[in-house]
Amino acid sequence: MAKFDAIIVGSGACGGWACMTLAQQGFKVALLEAGSLIDQARDFHHRWPYELDFRGAGQPGLLRKYFRNSTEYNYRIMIDDRDNPYTTPPDKPFNWLRSRVLGGRTLHWARCSDRMSDFEFKAASRDGYGEDWPISYQDIEPYYDRVERFIGVSAAKANLPQFPDGVFLPPMALNCAETIFNAACQKVGLPATPRRVAQLTRTLNNRPPCHYCGNCVNGCDVGAMFSTVSTTLPPALKTGNVTLLCDSVVSHVLLDAEHRARGVRYRERFTNKAVEVESPIVILAGSSLENTRLLLNSENGGLANSSGVLGHYLMDQLVGAGASGFLPQLKGSKIRNDDGKATGLYIPNFNNLRAKKNPTFIRGYAMSASGGATMFPAFAPALPGFGSSFKNQVKSLYPAQARVWMSGGEMLARKENFIELDPLVKDRWDIPVLKIHCAHSANDQALYLDFFNRAQELFHAAKGEATPAQPFLAPPGSLFHEVGTCRMGNNPKSSVLNSFCQTHDIRNLFVFGGGCFVTTGDKHPTLTMMALTARGCDHILDTARKKEL
Amino acid sequence: MTRRDVNWLMARAAASAGAAAFFAQWLPARETHQHSNAPADPHHWDGYQPKFFTTEESQWLETFTAILIPTDETPGARDAHVVSFIDFVVNAAAEFAPDVQTQWREAMSWLRSVEFGKLSPQQQLALLTDAAAPEADHSLTHPGFSSYRLIKELTVRAFYTSRVGLVDVLEYQGIAYLTEFPACTHPEHQQV
Repeated sequence: MAKFDAIIVGSGACGGWACMTLAQQGFKVALLEAGSLIDQARDFHHRWPYELDFRGAGQPGLLRKYFRNSTEYNYRIMIDDRDNPYTTPPDKPFNWLRSRVLGGRTLHWARCSDRMSDFEFKAASRDGYGEDWPISYQDIEPYYDRVERFIGVSAAKANLPQFPDGVFLPPMALNCAETIFNAACQKVGLPATPRRVAQLTRTLNNRPPCHYCGNCVNGCDVGAMFSTVSTTLPPALKTGNVTLLCDSVVSHVLLDAEHRARGVRYRERFTNKAVEVESPIVILAGSSLENTRLLLNSENGGLANSSGVLGHYLMDQLVGAGASGFLPQLKGSKIRNDDGKATGLYIPNFNNLRAKKNPTFIRGYAMSASGGATMFPAFAPALPGFGSSFKNQVKSLYPAQARVWMSGGEMLARKENFIELDPLVKDRWDIPVLKIHCAHSANDQALYLDFFNRAQELFHAAKGEATPAQPFLAPPGSLFHEVGTCRMGNNPKSSVLNSFCQTHDIRNLFVFGGGCFVTTGDKHPTLTMMALTARGCDHILDTARKKEL
Repeated sequence: MTRRDVNWLMARAAASAGAAAFFAQWLPARETHQHSNAPADPHHWDGYQPKFFTTEESQWLETFTAILIPTDETPGARDAHVVSFIDFVVNAAAEFAPDVQTQWREAMSWLRSVEFGKLSPQQQLALLTDAAAPEADHSLTHPGFSSYRLIKELTVRAFYTSRVGLVDVLEYQGIAYLTEFPACTHPEHQQV
């Protein structure tokens, strides 16, 4: 049986970071990835729709087995839902987007890299709902610095206490629609700044700057956007200390006689052969819910679950219909490159920051706005009419497209939102799948409705012509910011992890990713997950040096 | 040498002395260069023979889609080989989405029922105008509306994803290699 100093399950944002950090400190690391190997230069390309057989839509019906938003461009880096099912009660739909591939969701993420603030970490102290995080902004700030410095975040300083500034590369310029929305924000008194993205505007650590091709969600061919494959894996592999085990579907954390983690068992993806690997440190970094699934499957009643909260407090940030339509100022204008950076204008949370609170909901949300010409005029199929006048109208509206969307609203942490192993359904590797129970609260609904009205107001302030829309809060999971189920806390009776993402019950077992989140906050979660991973890795190195693990 | 290597070399070169002057030559050249960076049309459709539609049905669709997106001052559906693409897609639906083929069979039945091929151009235009009316006025109905929508949706999709539609007609500027993202330079957009 192969032996290592540390085993890391999952190669996404957190697994990649942990792998790099430990390998550089001399640890022999086994990095297990359930999906296939990816080489960005070989596998990712600029492709025009007419170069693809089905122009991006895929063979009719083929993509139904993949996650619903996958396209002919990117379905190979998305998950096959038939091999990897999950279940929900019929009245509680949940959208779970996953990627099983080297680099995981970093290959196609939206790259937004925001710092959470004490408005979020200490929200319970402010409004009395739920629990505070066991850390404050001060505890995590140096790790935000470290991660930003290494992955590269293009952003402008905003000087807002609810949206802390960091170590930034120059921001990307605003396009015409974003400039108009920026002016509208000033007019109505909303804060606004370019979306903060892990996308280089200058060369950094052997990675070239962005060339504004707009292909980010299909995989970046040059590694200008942060992904494990472009950024953390190359230095990790360079140490010679990493054994990369792709196509390895982990099913169990293994325990020794003293109830300490001694390794993991995995199935070879194609042969289904069970293999065991051992190490004195086991790190789960296979996404929020997959980590918890693994703990639930490793022991009756769940491993590291003396608190009984493992699987509970599932959250996903809120998202739903916003405002979309056209900016008359841009109708018929010269076609410009509007979508090359694939970002937008960010409007940080402005709710419940001062003593005077919003009367209808607690916590807050962030919005984004953008517009302009896109690769496909998505409005055109629904536009009434035909003939030359239709063609002219499409061309005139094409550069004037605009939208305001919800970047993330806080969903309250509630114990009744939880995941468990489905007693009947198993995946292709005979591992029980998750049954996900998740629904929105009245506060979630009220917060979303406030966003919807604000989005219409902002669109109106920009003088936009909004397409008539009804408020629609999308099912949980739709923003792909699912967190919780393995939350951190100081009290082992009410939390699974301590503030270093180490399980209270088993000292040599760590869980990195969004599972530890106590609240969702209103920021994009990945940067916080990575900063917590960096902090957890420091703790591993400290305690390993003192031989306390 | 891969594109990644080229980008890396360019990034290194950009950081070196004198690079600004060197690259400054390129930027205005890009602005004034009229050709798109879009690759040439792969010409899938030269000599394409319909596999799903009959010759007669293909001819109806040629006429129908040319009314939807005509060739006028700019190219139209015919120039983009829209009907060949539709046939290719609908034929490929057999494997995973046979319901799509059923819908197109129904659309062809509608065209047959109105004897589309025997109508004069004026009558064809009148038929499409009537069939399209519920798009703008939801209180109206038309027996051919769902078939009209089926044909229109795929026609619009086929046209604006073709090189002719995307590059020649819409003049899409994306999928480029740029050194900086082009900022909005319009003073009138700085205020609302």
